[in-house]
Amino acid sequence: MNEATNKTNEVILSVQEVSKSFGGVRAVVGVSFDLRRGELLGIIGPNGSGKTTLVNLITGFVKPDSGSVKYEGQDITGWMPYRIARLGIARTFQMIRPFAELPAFKNLIIPLFSPRVKTLSGGKYGDLDSVAKDLLEEVGFERESSVTYKAAGSLPHGYLKRLELAKCLALRADLIILDELFSGLSIAELASIVPIIEKLMVEGKTVIMIEHRLRELFRIANRVVVLNYGHAIADGKPSEVMERDDVKQAYLGTE
Amino acid sequence: MLEVTLIYGFINSIILSLVALGFSLTFGISGVSNFAYGAMYILAGYAVWIFINKLSMPFFLAVILAVVLTAGLGLALYRFVLLRVRGLVISEVIATFGVGLAILELFRYLGFTTFEYTLPVFTDGSIEIGNTYIDHQRLWIVGVGIALAVGLYLFTHHTKLGLAFRAIAQDEKTALSLGINSDRIAGISVAFGSGLAAVAAVLILPRGTISVNEGYDVLINAMAVCIIGGLGSTVGVVVASFLIGYAQMLTDAFSGPHWKMIVSLVAILIILVVKPSGLFGKQKELEERI
Repeated sequence: MNEATNKTNEVILSVQEVSKSFGGVRAVVGVSFDLRRGELLGIIGPNGSGKTTLVNLITGFVKPDSGSVKYEGQDITGWMPYRIARLGIARTFQMIRPFAELPAFKNLIIPLFSPRVKTLSGGKYGDLDSVAKDLLEEVGFERESSVTYKAAGSLPHGYLKRLELAKCLALRADLIILDELFSGLSIAELASIVPIIEKLMVEGKTVIMIEHRLRELFRIANRVVVLNYGHAIADGKPSEVMERDDVKQAYLGTE
Repeated sequence: MLEVTLIYGFINSIILSLVALGFSLTFGISGVSNFAYGAMYILAGYAVWIFINKLSMPFFLAVILAVVLTAGLGLALYRFVLLRVRGLVISEVIATFGVGLAILELFRYLGFTTFEYTLPVFTDGSIEIGNTYIDHQRLWIVGVGIALAVGLYLFTHHTKLGLAFRAIAQDEKTALSLGINSDRIAGISVAFGSGLAAVAAVLILPRGTISVNEGYDVLINAMAVCIIGGLGSTVGVVVASFLIGYAQMLTDAFSGPHWKMIVSLVAILIILVVKPSGLFGKQKELEERI
């Protein structure tokens, strides 16, 4: 019991003073935050405030100019994305990127085939097709319905978002970073995808969500970091953070 | 006459697909166009010749060693040259073409241009179909060619690793985010393609003399097949090989052998104007790119 509580409280991700400029544009400037296991952190901010760059810095798609990223105590600054993924950090992309020509369930073969999953399952891959279909069912694909077998490129938007989630699950990630998962979803679709994320939290996963749909985010996030022009201007409980004048100003403009 | 054209057209088509498979496979997985492909092909031929005639190796050992060596050279090409220009398509083309030129012209400079450079056939003899004689080597070509095409199709569509390869071809960034070392896979793809060039070489070269110039012809034929069939598509390679293969044979029969190469070149021009992504191509349609 005690050990379990310790485990839930440990810092899983530590971002220290990371900065990145593209040409003259300072996309992320000295951002720091710690993330504890089991937290759901929202990263919010106006367009162009550096949210996606921050995710790219954590996941290795962009190398920071300075600062460090630690995952489970290990310095992963500047690592290649595939190495970071193998540690158990999964991410989705703002522009959804399915393997368009493969059937939906075959999309999961890649993460299922990764060295990480092989190690975690004791060297055996097992029947990947059936594992893949189980995972799709978990994110709301109806078992044995035609969507499972459709080429991913022809899936409806809502299913594509679910497929992105399923890929993170397939990798057996501990930290899942969702870049605007909610965008473009209808209220009904949201109502069915939110419970999936809540279930992840119950299972002890740690989640970072970049979101513009704040009302839905605040229902599930325990904490938010607000970015503005690359700076982290606030960090705390959603209700408290949104009361701050500088945050209101960043979002609503000065009037 | 018709029978000969039909049978030899078939063999010629298989030869073209053998030549193009490796080039297409490399591109299909990693998006790298290996313009050193023709040089790899010729290099494998000379390697077998040197192993047999200078090092007195047994034939099949020489063949296997040459295939492994060429694949290794492909891996080195990726590791030491392509890795640094990865994603800069023009640089990839210039780098691989440059390496190819260096290899081919080095052989010319070293005097590998006389008629003594021939490879032995796998088995001697011939069979007769109707009134047409076909030597054993051409049967080997047909057998191995069909087996490789079918094998590659099954590999990419029905094995886990093959699926992984296709997924990387479709979206490298997503593959990276899911723990796939795409550089390693791309290196393997260039090695695999180069190895296939070597297999094609040891099968096809015994029909004549190994010459430096054939390296350029092989590259042009591989490109013609891939451009017409659509880069990276195994089905496209086979269909395009048969189109060009028979077109070449008919040109040969009615206008003379020196017009054969023109067929490939004209076919490239026509398809680039009519359907630039090739018959089975996976490049984006025009409206998607805007």
